[in-house]
Amino acid sequence: MAYPDYRPAIRARGGIRAQSRRGDFGASWWARRWLQTLEEFRIGTRLDRGRSYARRGQVLSIDVEPGLVLALVQGSRPKPYRVSVQVKTISLPDWEELREEFGRQPAIAASLLSGRMPDAVEECFSARGLSMFPESEADLETVCSCPDWSNPCKHVAAVYLLLGEEFDRDPFLIFRLRGMEREELLGRDLVRSAQTLDGPPAAPEPLPADPSEFWGNPGRQFDEGDAFGAIAVPDVHAALPRQLGRFPFWQGEEEFSAAMERIYRAASQSALDAHAGQTDGEEN
Amino acid sequence: MLILHAAQCEGRLVLWGEDSEATGDGHGDGRHPRCAAGDLLLGVMGLDVGEEMASEAVVWLPSWGSEPLPSSPLAGEAPRSRAKPRILPFRVPALWLDGADAGEFLERCGDRPVLQPGVALGPEITYWRRARQFGMALVARQRYLPTATGHGDGMTAAWKAVFVGDDADRLADMGGLMPPAARSATGDAATGPPAQASSTVLRAFLDGVVDHLARKASVPRPEGNGFDSAHDAWLHALGAADGTIRVGPDQAKQLGRQVSEWQRPIAVAANAPYRLCLRLEEPPETEDGDGAVLDQGDWHLRYLLQPHDDRSLLLPAETVWKGRGKDAGNPDYNPREFLLAALSQAANLCPPVAESLEMEGPSGGMLSAEEAHRFLNAEAPALQQAGFGVLLPAWWTGRGTKARPTIRARVRTPAMTGGGGVSLSTMLDLEVSVALGGQEITPAELAELAELKAPLVRLRGQWVEINADEIREAADHWRNRKQVSLREAVLIGLGAEERSSEDNVRLEADDWVGRLMERLGREAEVETPAAPRRFLGSLRPYQERGYAWLTFLRRWGLGACLADDMGLGKTVQTLAALELDRQEGNDRPSLLVCPTSLMYNWQREAGKFTPELGVMLHHGPGRKRGDEFRQAAAERQVVVTSYGTMLRDAETLRGVPWRAVILDEAQNVKNPMARQSRAARELPADYRVALTGTPVENHVGDLWSIMEFLNPGLLGTQARFKRDYFVPIQAHRDEAATSRLKRAAGPFILRRVKTDPAVIDDLPDKRETKQYCVLTREQATLYQAVLREAETRMEEAEGISRRGMILDTLTKLKQACNHPRQLLGDNSVVAGRSGKLERLDELLEEIVASGDRTLVFSQFAEMGEIIRGHVQETFGIEAPFLHGGVSRRGRDAMVERFQNDPDGPRVFVLSLKAGGSGLNLPRANHVIHYDRWWNPAVENQATDRAFRIGQTRDVQVHKLICAGTLEDHVDAMIEAKAETARRVVGGSSERWLTELSNAELRDVLALSREHYGD
Repeated sequence: MAYPDYRPAIRARGGIRAQSRRGDFGASWWARRWLQTLEEFRIGTRLDRGRSYARRGQVLSIDVEPGLVLALVQGSRPKPYRVSVQVKTISLPDWEELREEFGRQPAIAASLLSGRMPDAVEECFSARGLSMFPESEADLETVCSCPDWSNPCKHVAAVYLLLGEEFDRDPFLIFRLRGMEREELLGRDLVRSAQTLDGPPAAPEPLPADPSEFWGNPGRQFDEGDAFGAIAVPDVHAALPRQLGRFPFWQGEEEFSAAMERIYRAASQSALDAHAGQTDGEEN
Repeated sequence: MLILHAAQCEGRLVLWGEDSEATGDGHGDGRHPRCAAGDLLLGVMGLDVGEEMASEAVVWLPSWGSEPLPSSPLAGEAPRSRAKPRILPFRVPALWLDGADAGEFLERCGDRPVLQPGVALGPEITYWRRARQFGMALVARQRYLPTATGHGDGMTAAWKAVFVGDDADRLADMGGLMPPAARSATGDAATGPPAQASSTVLRAFLDGVVDHLARKASVPRPEGNGFDSAHDAWLHALGAADGTIRVGPDQAKQLGRQVSEWQRPIAVAANAPYRLCLRLEEPPETEDGDGAVLDQGDWHLRYLLQPHDDRSLLLPAETVWKGRGKDAGNPDYNPREFLLAALSQAANLCPPVAESLEMEGPSGGMLSAEEAHRFLNAEAPALQQAGFGVLLPAWWTGRGTKARPTIRARVRTPAMTGGGGVSLSTMLDLEVSVALGGQEITPAELAELAELKAPLVRLRGQWVEINADEIREAADHWRNRKQVSLREAVLIGLGAEERSSEDNVRLEADDWVGRLMERLGREAEVETPAAPRRFLGSLRPYQERGYAWLTFLRRWGLGACLADDMGLGKTVQTLAALELDRQEGNDRPSLLVCPTSLMYNWQREAGKFTPELGVMLHHGPGRKRGDEFRQAAAERQVVVTSYGTMLRDAETLRGVPWRAVILDEAQNVKNPMARQSRAARELPADYRVALTGTPVENHVGDLWSIMEFLNPGLLGTQARFKRDYFVPIQAHRDEAATSRLKRAAGPFILRRVKTDPAVIDDLPDKRETKQYCVLTREQATLYQAVLREAETRMEEAEGISRRGMILDTLTKLKQACNHPRQLLGDNSVVAGRSGKLERLDELLEEIVASGDRTLVFSQFAEMGEIIRGHVQETFGIEAPFLHGGVSRRGRDAMVERFQNDPDGPRVFVLSLKAGGSGLNLPRANHVIHYDRWWNPAVENQATDRAFRIGQTRDVQVHKLICAGTLEDHVDAMIEAKAETARRVVGGSSERWLTELSNAELRDVLALSREHYGD
């Protein structure tokens, strides 16, 4: 392992698809602030080496846990390199103060929930002598299993860049990097039973033994007016996935939003056809 | 009889059945004693379902002792017991249908209570059918998301419905309507009785519908050699049949986390007890509100929280911010947090909301006129679609009338050209101006508005959405047309012309065009022409109105649909109108098309009321063709034919320039694609009439075909009709489209129901009609065979043996008229062999459809049994049969149920002997005499079961008579009050017939030619 490896990287398949095709990674001010921070650590030029890696989809996966990023990057060896970035977390008492401050400013939480980091957040940090992002290179401890001596190597650099893009999508990731989960930051009330689409749990209903109640006759009780809502194709397709925004670290070959739009569009049509089939059945 | 049931279990629809004819073999090992066998289910399904779907299920049913109770009287008789029923498990053969097969099956079920003769559908199936429509609506509106559930190797991809806003309310409402039977199945008995909440079961079913449709739409990419990423595997699995995501456990874990992270914001909304409402408020009125065209204040958008469980409550965001967090009623939720989450969602759809979030404690936002306009047109619908409540100013939501500028089109009426009718192609001059709420907008004002380019303006004190350029363009379009035809003018006037309804054109006309428009707008307010001179009979006042209305439309060459309730005399009104037409000098023949069973009825009625109308039946193998037909037709005024013959002789019939084409039972052409509908449309005629007893105006889908026959082009092409009316009305419940359709079609439909006050006053309490039917070929053959045998014996027999022989012959002939199976006594097939039974079907269809109840009398127990079975199998409704063999207690139970049970039977079959006297059945308002007992006293006594104290409605009596048979001849004798008939009245039986001479008898019994069908 004494010599740097100059063989070209093996082309990866199924890697994370970078949003950026040219120029900067990350569109939001907070993502840029992240890259700016890295540049201030004088690793800015070394970041450039990660660009083509990130764009070519060489990063196979990124997992963000409180204070820790784990990633797999395809390099020139068959076995992908393991990258880990340990980030210095903010102490719990400090977080406690921040949380109280956020609570006094509801617009902060609302902005965060709508996927935006308000300026006020950074002010909250600095007012307490804290920083949203790591303050020195020492706050970032990186390890890569590649033979490259330079640190950060292009593999780590690619992970940094893609992280920036992901901050665009979900500003809470920055807090997670600093050791705080969104539930704890905003209050658990909001997300207590909100993990699935199955709705709140319902109380059991035993079967009634009375025959007429058991068999029922629902036909005449339906409110014909608005039992189902409109059976109509909306003007904007895939509004729900759109509302949720990008999928985290999308690796699929087809663009996620394009896939969703394609499917929702076709499904609406087949629902209309099925409905027409059912109503035609009534007519004949 | 098979009754199908369906319960949702383990993600599938479990189909099983009760078989009233099952032997009960294998009972005792926990098996349902009357369950339908598996292969029977497979046969009924008629789907390509794999055998692997057939597998046993356990259903938990109300039971007495160890016996499950039948789901309805169709399935069998309930054991008599006073014990309380309890829920017990029973093993049954079942089909476990997946989303695709369940969908196909429910689609096939249609809206009828029977799937096919002999196969009835349980009430849960109706329920699932409706639920499926909800599922389809969710897919059409795209209210669902892709999910990945499970852990490690067992991870599956599925599409799941999302219930927020109105859909959450709908889910709750529909869940509350679920019959418990719909969730009564389990895989085996060990699980104990199912107790899953109906909302949970409904959700599972809807998820199945959603998953099936969305999965079908997401064509899976080829799998190749595995996937490059977990996301590719997921996307593939969302479209693959089994949904398994082929990834390793680590990847699966990560994917699961990503999916739930991604979905979190909507999961928050889907679990919330509130929803966010946004209310748009107008800027306060400025002082100069009158003449000023421009008013540019700021609009206000307010945020409010609306709890699902009290939709009348609206909490302003301010109070939520001021509150200390938790809501006492819902300790699990924090309205402030929810408000934040919801606002952040709304911000993605509505930029002004996003802007407002920059402020602390956002309670609303300020909008410019442009922003308000964009909000009304684009953002509000998007927010609504996303489940937010949106409250808009009334002038906007009620738009289409006052708030939009109209284009006024005055037509200049030319002088009436001499005499009679007017041509719809007469051209009229147009004069065009623009108006708002009755006041004209001058071109100068319009130019000023166009200059401003403000989409929302307060014009003369009223907020208006205005696009001045478009209005100028539209006005120019109409100015350039200069002329329209009378037909176009009628359509524009009725609001039924495409361009004109888009441009909001108001038609104004005076003189006769104005009068025509006015009359079309107001139902049946037309002068009554004098009754035709040669009309034998009298029209009741409401019939006179119908006759006048038919005549009014006829004079304008417009088609009319007379859709009066059964029994109000559509035939008489039509005949009177035809006779008047003839007397006015139009004696070219009209073509009347009706079901075979009614042809003779028409001939009879015409003979009775309008003897000068020459009527010819065009039917049967001996009918005239080609020139011979044309010549014969030219000598008559009415040619009566059947739908079948119309189709077969389409070419010949098209060759005659008919005065009118009249369709009786016009629902026969409700399917626009059917060949007979097309054939009817292609018949040339000066005007057209459709007669039907079914409420056509309620069946939007049927309307187009009938109106296209009556007034071609009135409702546009079929595709346009579907787009403009059918889909908006049927699918969106669009009231504007409904009233537009009513305006367009209403003037050409006249429907009176028996309960109309104007009609009731005119009606007698009891009305008798004779329903003439036609023998089938088989019946006619049997009838003649009986007759031939009788004739040879008649010559020889004398005295008592002659009398016995005659009575025997009478009975056999009556049986032949009733049904071949009754004569042959052979348990053969019932359907399609008796013209009389077919007529009964038609009557029952109308009676049942209009929610009425009827008694059906027959003097033969065997026939009663055939009717009972036939009605139950064909209509899937219960039809008890009271005959001499029923115990006293059984009889009381039947009467009690018919009279008092809210779900009681609609058809009650009785033998004349057992049910003809003594019973009190005024809940029935129809009485059908399937066969005749030629003694009015006996018949009237039976009729009086319904027509007696307690009867609040008029009673209709239908006497079925086979045309051209002894039934017809004897009836004629009684009507003619001939000597023989007078003897009848005194007697108590039909014995008088035996006293006729052989010659007389031969005439009475003979089968007249031409009086049987194909």
